[in-house]
Amino acid sequence: MNAFLTVEKQGGLLQVFLKDDWVFDNLNILQETLDNIIPETETQVKFSCGGLKNFDLAGAWVLYERSMDFEEIGVTTDFEGFRASHFKFLQHIIDIAATKEYVPGYFDPKPSHFVRNGIRKLGENTIEAVDSVGYIARAVLDGVKRPSRLVVGEIIRQVHATGAAAIPIVMTVCFLMGIVLAYQSARQLEQFGANIFMVDLVATSIFRELGVLLAAIMVAGRSGSAFAAALGTMKLTEEVDALRVMGLNPNQILIIPRVVGLMIALPVLTVFANIAGLAGGAFIGATVLDINWFSFTERLAETIDVNDVLVGLSKAPVFAFLIAVTGTLRGMQVKGSAEELGRLTTVAVVQSIFLIIVADAIFTVVYSRIGF
Amino acid sequence: MPESHEHVITIRGLVNRFGSQVVHDDLQLDVRRDEILGVVGGSGTGKSVLLRSILGLHGPNEGRIEVLGQKIRYHEPGPHKQWGVLFQGGALLSGLTVQENVELPIALHSDLSVGMRRELAVLKIFMVGLDLNAAAKYPNELSGGMQKRASLARALSLEPKILFLDEPTAGLDPISASQFDQLVRYLGDNLDLTIVMITHDVDTLFGVCDRVAVLVNKGIIVDTVDEIVKHPDPWIQEYFGDPRAVRARRAAKAKVNT
Repeated sequence: MNAFLTVEKQGGLLQVFLKDDWVFDNLNILQETLDNIIPETETQVKFSCGGLKNFDLAGAWVLYERSMDFEEIGVTTDFEGFRASHFKFLQHIIDIAATKEYVPGYFDPKPSHFVRNGIRKLGENTIEAVDSVGYIARAVLDGVKRPSRLVVGEIIRQVHATGAAAIPIVMTVCFLMGIVLAYQSARQLEQFGANIFMVDLVATSIFRELGVLLAAIMVAGRSGSAFAAALGTMKLTEEVDALRVMGLNPNQILIIPRVVGLMIALPVLTVFANIAGLAGGAFIGATVLDINWFSFTERLAETIDVNDVLVGLSKAPVFAFLIAVTGTLRGMQVKGSAEELGRLTTVAVVQSIFLIIVADAIFTVVYSRIGF
Repeated sequence: MPESHEHVITIRGLVNRFGSQVVHDDLQLDVRRDEILGVVGGSGTGKSVLLRSILGLHGPNEGRIEVLGQKIRYHEPGPHKQWGVLFQGGALLSGLTVQENVELPIALHSDLSVGMRRELAVLKIFMVGLDLNAAAKYPNELSGGMQKRASLARALSLEPKILFLDEPTAGLDPISASQFDQLVRYLGDNLDLTIVMITHDVDTLFGVCDRVAVLVNKGIIVDTVDEIVKHPDPWIQEYFGDPRAVRARRAAKAKVNT
């Protein structure tokens, strides 16, 4: 009747002969087959394993569970004719069942409390924010109080990794942005025959806003994530603890060089970004809009003064500080799992870009109020 | 030695090189069904490389490896459902609870209902001596010994035929290590398991293993625990002549005799 067992009724006794492979791979069918054995008038069930070939823990487990079902409804069960090599699995289950008990409700999903969890989350985030500010202050203080020779080398390394290495990509992006700006402004200005004012638009927006903003966003993506991932991994592998035990302050060794390094690197990157953006505008002017190099530079000198350049550059250290602090802080918050590392790295990038935009908005409003 | 044993792992002519450094040269190994084989060797003799080669995690330069009759190829699916591995650090997935870690292979390789999956996982967790309290925790909330047990439960979740253990007692205190040895021995005796373990622990070697494989001279020497100590190789003599090894051997003998 079935590949895995045959059933014989002998008065009050239900004899079940197991056959074939009672193993993990057949578990679903085994369970189904066993569920179909329902004693009617019988008061005793005997499992015997005449034709049993392979047997494993999973097979033994479904068999045992079913026998427990029978016992519960008052039918006695018995195992007979098991070879030692097979019975040891069954014995194993019986042993485990005898020593352990399932905790009722262990698998029941815990009820969720939206409001309560929301409030708790809000509180946790607030504490975290306050904690972060304190942490940063402490790190900066540590760095200022006891500058170490180790830190200088590390700062130079960071300037290279976050600044010099980023020059090609930042310049490429800004060059392309210069092209876009030149094209878009020229389309509007063409209507008034005022093509030459394209230079004003491109130069002003690149110098005052876009050069530094694009550089900062690229750096946030490149270095903010790198900071968080590097420090997070160091936390997970106990490298941070190792530093602490050796008497080195992780804030000083890990955070200060990154913050200072990036604050040096980003203004320099901004200069490169500005040059590339102008080059993009000039390129389109010369090739498409009939504004040659000479008239481009002439117009540039007329329209741009040193303030415009300084406005952009003045934002760079602030953006750098925000990126570096967010990245390193999130990295230091990693504990426990690889998943946490991924989450906090993402948080670092998203938050630093968010903070950059917020800071830029504040800068713009303040500068325009004071007429800078 | 008569060839009456069934071999679950056969390795022929294994060569592993890193640059100019030759780690294995024409290495041969047969692992018998249902035995517990301990693999030892000095540092740099390629214990881990051997294990990784068998598991298909490392592509050897030359040689043929078969596990349960299936040829192992680098980074290609091996007999996943028939082997379980306990990595040195446990390698539990840190984002999942112990329970979920043990369920994962079952969920990946079968279409069992959620309920059955859970209960099978609980069975394995109980089997390695953990309780439901530990099952609900995340790996980083457990002690080193418990992590190893949890990892063992995961390795056993698919009813494997072969169990690989990489330094199972490294980093455990002597009591935990001894308990872990007992657990391995118990599993070896009570399930139809072939166990291959890399170990440095002489207590494990004498107390648990049926045979010992020693990596020396870019090859391997395999023999029973009692015979291997008589081998003339200088490294083997030094290793097993060490007072700690001698003591461990006496202790294991005494345990057998009582």
